[in-house]
Amino acid sequence: MTQKEIENLRNTIKTASLKVISENIARMKKTSPNRPEIMQYFDEMANLFGQREKEIKELQDQGKKVIGYLCMFAPVELILAADAIPVRVGSGWYDPAKQGDKIVPVEVCPIVRSTIGTKMIGLSPFLEMSDVIINPPTCDGMTKLGEILSDQKSIWTLSAPRIKDDPQSLIFWKEEIKAMKKKIEGLTGVKITAKRLRAAIELRQKASLAFRRLQDVRKISPVIMGRDAMLVSQTITWDDTQRWTEKTMMLCDELERRVKQEEWACSPSNPRVMITGTPMFWPDNWKIPHLVEEAKPQGLIAADELCSGDRILYDPVGVDEWTGSDMLSAVAEKYLMASTCPCFTSADGNEDRINWLLDRIKEFKIDGVIYYTVRGCMLYAMEYARVKRILDKMNVPIYYLDTEYTREDVGQIKTRIEAFMEMLDTRVQLSRGTQP
Amino acid sequence: MITAGIDMGTQSVKVVILKDNKVLAQSSVFSGFDPAAAATEAFNKALEKAELTKSDLQYFIATGAGADMAPFHNSTISMMGADAKAATFLFPTARTIVDVGAEEARAVKCDENGVMQSFVVNERCAAGAGTFIETMARALEVEVEEMGPLALKAETASPINATCVIFGESDVVTLIHRQESKPEIARAIYDAMAERITSMVQRLGVTPDVVLIGGVAKDVGLVASLKRKLGIELLIPENPEFAGALGAALIAARKAGGASK
Repeated sequence: MTQKEIENLRNTIKTASLKVISENIARMKKTSPNRPEIMQYFDEMANLFGQREKEIKELQDQGKKVIGYLCMFAPVELILAADAIPVRVGSGWYDPAKQGDKIVPVEVCPIVRSTIGTKMIGLSPFLEMSDVIINPPTCDGMTKLGEILSDQKSIWTLSAPRIKDDPQSLIFWKEEIKAMKKKIEGLTGVKITAKRLRAAIELRQKASLAFRRLQDVRKISPVIMGRDAMLVSQTITWDDTQRWTEKTMMLCDELERRVKQEEWACSPSNPRVMITGTPMFWPDNWKIPHLVEEAKPQGLIAADELCSGDRILYDPVGVDEWTGSDMLSAVAEKYLMASTCPCFTSADGNEDRINWLLDRIKEFKIDGVIYYTVRGCMLYAMEYARVKRILDKMNVPIYYLDTEYTREDVGQIKTRIEAFMEMLDTRVQLSRGTQP
Repeated sequence: MITAGIDMGTQSVKVVILKDNKVLAQSSVFSGFDPAAAATEAFNKALEKAELTKSDLQYFIATGAGADMAPFHNSTISMMGADAKAATFLFPTARTIVDVGAEEARAVKCDENGVMQSFVVNERCAAGAGTFIETMARALEVEVEEMGPLALKAETASPINATCVIFGESDVVTLIHRQESKPEIARAIYDAMAERITSMVQRLGVTPDVVLIGGVAKDVGLVASLKRKLGIELLIPENPEFAGALGAALIAARKAGGASK
């Protein structure tokens, strides 16, 4: 492609994307007409070509470094401690996947293909602004994605072990985190002192606290639609942490007030759904949440087990002693031990994920689980059988939904989601003794 | 009580009119380019057969891929829900329902009340659905209706590995070049289809009795292959293509407060 063609393509896709972003928000508002006013903040933050892009650009011009990351294993606390800006750069855009097809076969996961395509046409402001990208090779796609992007970007590979509970894994991982700290210090010229690290850990802990508060209201009531909560969770991957925390606290104030007044976002008799599987990135890959919450009968996404959602902030770094080495160990442990990513295995399979799911199903009173994957997402696809076996035993309905980075299958997917919601609805009504 | 169900399928629109759980009339019209018009036509045909007018209907439910396009329906129901209802009405012992339509194959598990428990749908691939047979019939230069009887004449099977219609077709071309006989190739096509459907049904779990519905249930070639692959007897109603519309009409009767179970 010539420079001119690239530019045209970028502009076309960007224009289309801005439209998708505002349509997404309009659809979320339509489902929940009395959405809290403070959601407007997150709606604005959801504009990937908006205020936050400008803000980061300005900070970068003042000398701050931007550190992109492709997966949740990147130790955000260390980035913050070095006064750099962390941004997640995995692509949620559908259209650039077609560009990625020029480099890798269509069988490859669309997140990877689209991230490649996004780089080819320079679509993502955050990816473009990144001075470096941390790439944990967690799945095959991510492993090679780093190599492909390294033609145009500096990539720091952060190697996560595949077996959590072996003591040598943790030793290795801690060394990786230590090395990452040095790299970050080298890039930013900022020494990550104990004081700085503590401040960063505490900053993220506060964010986790705000997030947990949001979780608590979702547990007990349909006070916020799942899509809104998912958007809130995801925006922290590019927003300023402190401001995000303040705004989320304000949202929680309002939601807690509504819980007292029993002002619900949807009927409390709606089936409560949990989504698990491949990460779902804003803006284009919002189709499943839309379909669930716009379905007849309507579902409520009460929780998710996605590294693009509830998993981001669920576990804070837990520190015993605020010494430099203890804090660094605590950061390492959080990113390894708390992760439920299917890249892990053990004699009992990815046990932590299963337990996470079972706990959440109970806590959030989940009526049914949507197990979502995209084509080429081998780890999640292969882990399904085990998850299903266990949920079947618990008599929790689970539905496997696989899709692509495309809008063309919306009709088909809608049919399936509505059938699943109909089934859950019938079960919910029967269990409450009312004939549907 | 008089109710109706309409199944807005991808290839044809089916209408069933029920009176007190007895079929008064049914009709089928090719969906074509204007499914809404086809629906109106099918609906009017069925009314005419039943010697009724629209105002005689107490409740009208639409199902199928294009359910939203159906004219003046009271509500919609999923195809899987309709399948489960119809199958248990026709065969009270039905617990697993396999529905093979033009563009989609699916399997539904249900309880004794015809309430759906779980379901699977073939994943973005038509190799397990009716369209596959049509495409392959073209490759063999035979009428689609001849395919089934042709396959039954085969003595052995040449395995093909159909993961999609396009790959399936190129596999068939390979068999043609190897100068395999038409019956053998036809059998290979049905076996490949049955293989896809079987693995889908087995993912769901096979609980007898198993009912086969959908337009493709009328194809003797597929039925033979599917019985072989599943290793189980299949219950097939007289008009398997109307099962979806029947299920919708039955649910309509329940919604209207009738006696349907």
